[in-house]
Order: sequence, then C-alpha cells, then structure tokens
Amino acid sequence: MKSWLLLPLVIVLVIAGYFLPQWLSPFHVRVVQFFFFAAALAVAWNILGGFSGYWSFGHTAFIGIGAFAAAHFSMRIGMFGAQPFSIVVPIIIGGLVSAIVAAIIAYPILRLRGIYFAIAMLGVGQVFAELANNIRWFQGGVGLFVTAPMPPGVPPERFYYYVFGILLAITFVTSVAVRYSRLGAGLIAIREDEDTAGMLGVPAERYKIAAFVISASLVGMLGAAYAFSVGYFTTSTVFRIDFSLNMIVYSLIGGLGTLFGPVIGAAIMLFVTQVLLSHLLEVHLLITGLIVVTIVLVIPKGILGTLSDAMQRRRSVDRGKAQPVGEAR
Amino acid sequence: MLTLLQTTLNGLVVGGIFSLAAVGFSLIFGVMGIVNLTHGIFVIAGAYFALVMWRELGVDPLLAVLPIGVVLFAFGYVYQRTIIHWAVSRSSLVASLLVTFGVAMILRNVLQLVFSPDVRTITPPYSFVSLSFGALQIDLVRVVGLAASLVLLSLFALLLTRTSFGRAIRATAQQPLASQLAGINVRHVYALTFGLGAAFAGASGTIIGIVQPFSPASEVAWTLNAFVVVVLGGIGSPAGALLGGILLGLINTFTAQYIGPAMTNAMMFLVLVLMLLVRPQGLLGNAFGETR
Repeated sequence: MKSWLLLPLVIVLVIAGYFLPQWLSPFHVRVVQFFFFAAALAVAWNILGGFSGYWSFGHTAFIGIGAFAAAHFSMRIGMFGAQPFSIVVPIIIGGLVSAIVAAIIAYPILRLRGIYFAIAMLGVGQVFAELANNIRWFQGGVGLFVTAPMPPGVPPERFYYYVFGILLAITFVTSVAVRYSRLGAGLIAIREDEDTAGMLGVPAERYKIAAFVISASLVGMLGAAYAFSVGYFTTSTVFRIDFSLNMIVYSLIGGLGTLFGPVIGAAIMLFVTQVLLSHLLEVHLLITGLIVVTIVLVIPKGILGTLSDAMQRRRSVDRGKAQPVGEAR
Repeated sequence: MLTLLQTTLNGLVVGGIFSLAAVGFSLIFGVMGIVNLTHGIFVIAGAYFALVMWRELGVDPLLAVLPIGVVLFAFGYVYQRTIIHWAVSRSSLVASLLVTFGVAMILRNVLQLVFSPDVRTITPPYSFVSLSFGALQIDLVRVVGLAASLVLLSLFALLLTRTSFGRAIRATAQQPLASQLAGINVRHVYALTFGLGAAFAGASGTIIGIVQPFSPASEVAWTLNAFVVVVLGGIGSPAGALLGGILLGLINTFTAQYIGPAMTNAMMFLVLVLMLLVRPQGLLGNAFGETR
C-alpha cells in the first residue's frame, strides 16, 4: 500500500466507525461491538502466537484476570473521572494486573516450547479459573456486578461499541508497532528458528517475555471492558475455553503472523456464527470445531498466507522462474 | 497418623486409575509425537457408553470394558488414518494439536446434545459397599477400579514387550524410516497405535464412570491429567504411566487433605511446570529413546 494513502484511509475509517451505529439496528451494533472485541483479542493473541510462534491455548486466563481486577478495583476502590471516562481507569488496571501476572509466570513458562507451552497455558487458564471460583474473596462463584455510569442519552450497546472500537484500534496499532520494530523482527526470527536466532544475537528470552506481557496486557484490558459490557459475570463467563480457542482460530483463518489476518478471520467467523447461524446456539462448539478442522486441512496458512503464496508464485512465473509449488518441510 | 495413612491409600487408589486413563495418551505421544487433545473425549465417551449399556442392557460396567475398547479402537484407527494423518502431512505436528482440539469440541458438543450437559454417575450394586482394614476405610468400587486398572496396564505392558505387534510399535517409535525399510507398514502401525490408545482411554472411562461423576465438560480435566501423568512419569511406557499416575494421585489427595480441595489443580500445575523445567523427559525418561 502506498504510504500517502494511509492517512486519508484512517480518517475515513474513523469517521465511518463513528457514524456507523446511527444507521444500524441495536442488534447489529451489538454484533459489530462483539466483532471489535473478538478481533482485538485475536490481534493481541497474534502478537505472541503469530509473530513468535508460541501458541497459547489458555489466553482466556488474561481475559479473566483483567475482568476480575477491574471489577474488584471499581468495587473496592471506586471509579475515577467524569462520566464517560470513568471506565478508563479500571480498564487500565485490568491490563496492568494482567501484565504483572504475565510477567511473573513468563520466565518459567516461556522456557517450554511448542506443544509443551501450549498445554502449560491450557493449564494456566484452568488454574486461574479454579482459583477465581474457589477463593471466596474473588467472588467468582457467586458472580460480580460491575456497571459503568453511562453518558446520558447514549444507549449501552453504542457506548460499548465505541469502547471496543477504541480498544481494537489500540491493539491493532500496538501490533503494527511491534511488527515493524526490532522486537517484531526478533520475534519472527524466533518463530523461524529460536536457537539460530539466539546464536545470531537475538535476545530470545527477553523478546518472548516482552511479547507475552504485551499480549497479556492487551487481553487484560479487553477482559476488563468485557466485564463492564456484560454488567454481571461469574468465573465461567470470563474464563472460557472457547475464548482461548477463538483467538487461535481467527488468527489461523486469516493468516498466522499477518497484521490483518486476525481481523479478517474474526469478521468471517463472526459473520458465520452470529449472523448466519445465530439461531443454532447449541451447536456453536460443533461448528467452530468443524471450521478449525477444515481450515487446518485445507488452507493451513490461512487466507492471507495462501493469497500471498499464490501471488508470489505468479510473480516468479512472470519473471520466467519456475518455483516449486509445494514447499519441502 | 491415621489421616496420613488414609490419604496415602486414597492417593494410591486414585493414582492407579489416573495411570490407566493416561496410558493411551502416553503411547500415542511416545510413538507419534502427537499430543492427542481428543483423549479426554475418548475417556468420557467410554464412561457414557458404559452408562448406556448399564441403563439399557443391564451390562456391568466392568464387563463393558471389552466391547467399548473395540468400538474406540475402530474409531481411533479411522481417525488417525484420515484426519490426523492429513493434518500432520499437510502442515505440521503442531497442527495436529489444533485438529485434535477441534475434533474434541465437535465431539463434546455431540455428547452434550445426546446426553445433555448434566453430571452423570454409574451406580452398580457394589458401589455403596466399603471395605475396612482396621481403622482404614476404602470404597469397594475404588478397589475394583484399581485392580482393573492394574490388570489392563499389565496386559498393555505384555502387549508392548512380548508380541510382534508390540515390537513393531517400538521399532516404529524409534526409527520410522528404518522400520519401513525393514518391512513394517508404518502408516498401519501408526493407526493401530492410535486405535490402541483410544481403546485404553475408553476402557479407563468405563472404570472412571463407576468411581467418579462425569459430564461432557470434564473431558478437559482428563486430557490435562493425562498430560501431567506423562510429564511426571515419562513418555510411552506403562511403567511411566503407572508411576506418574500414582504420583498425581498422591499430589491430589495430599493437597486436598492438607492444603485445601480448591488447590488441587493449582498444585498439580505447579508440579507440572517444575517438572518440565527440571526433568522434561519425566522420571523414567522416554521409553522409546530419542524419537524426535
């Protein structure tokens, strides 16, 4: 993309995003709001899982931690700031607590690789859920009420539409910034071959921890906002294994490690599940599973990955160089 | 003192069942390097099969072990030959993690639709009898479950070490290419191994069904348990599974007794991470040597 196109494009997107809820029905505003949430989660997961290749199967832990941190903060300490902005501090607290927890568990857990890391994160998700449920002080079993004072005259779905829209923008910009920084290059090198990267001077340990903490803090903020948007939640509302899975699936469908992949994946999946199949709630798990299996078997590189492969092949054919179609693995 | 003994006894009994539940997972992991996240579903499916046979046909769960094993063996064989094989050959070993996770979601949803998400139990007539050794108390079902586990584990060990099929499995695990050159049909052995793993998972499920309540959602716990058992004991061998299972059983009961029942999973996870950091190959190491 030409870089001079970027600024006007962003301005158009922001304006369209601002006026969109006025033209949509409340239901569709809610769907778009959920799309922002899901896409932001996937983008945040992709910072760790897509760039560095460390697939976390338990990122829902950070949604939960963010939600609980924000709820307890606003309940026990209070809300700060004027009405529409009183939600800001708890969301930041949610991200902060999530980041701290991530920083604590990062060192031991990131020594594990591949399958071991994935399963260990699955365990992390389970353990935090159990702690939130069983330790009385957290009130995860009975549930927590969290309500943000709404600005007058704005319906809640529109308010949270803007909240999640802004969070998606923050997450996406962070992801772009990480990708094009030294950190991002290091993470890609780690994904390709961690030992070689380390040998060539990439501080693998530090970079992985940085990616993990960034990803966790973004997910924590989203979890905090999610808690406010639902108003009342229990452990099983926020520690959900399908959240963990969805983050992976969206990234995978769109293209792992790409910038737009997770957003595209979330848009497609949500269109299928929320719009096309909205009345088939009890088979959602089944459909998600089916899509996962199909994607892995048919286009393991995701939509963007497959497209860029095809374009590369065309380009090299144009230049008269034959390129092997399948890559040797 | 009495509490200590009782806790140890409980831990050993539960551990025996954990061992059986994990041995199939361990075999598949050791031979193919695949972490089968469908494992918990196989276990729970075994329990539901046993429930159906108990309710509808009046078959004792312990007698149901064999037919359930056969059904799951067939399922496992076909599953590996198709979906798992496609996933591994088209993308990577990590993709198998995702595919098995996806299939687990599908089957969990199916189980929920068929049997409802409610918690179920199987209660054969002997399930309320309890034995006492002096002051120590133990439920008869748990003893039966433990005995059945030990018998099945021994059978499994004999199969691996004494039969030509077992030798083929071990050879394939160590050197897939060399065993292919020696005339072993590797794809067939992989599928048979997967079937065997599924069969043992299903068999353990029937025993779990009489010992503990279960629901479609408890599959995650059984997958995680199996993984922890393998990490504790070592990959691929029944002995490793037995050791890991008993350790896990002891960790669970001791944590529940002395720290708090809410902390069992947290403690289990702590041990898991420590173990992965200190001795990632497990206490008994990988039964198949350097496989990957």
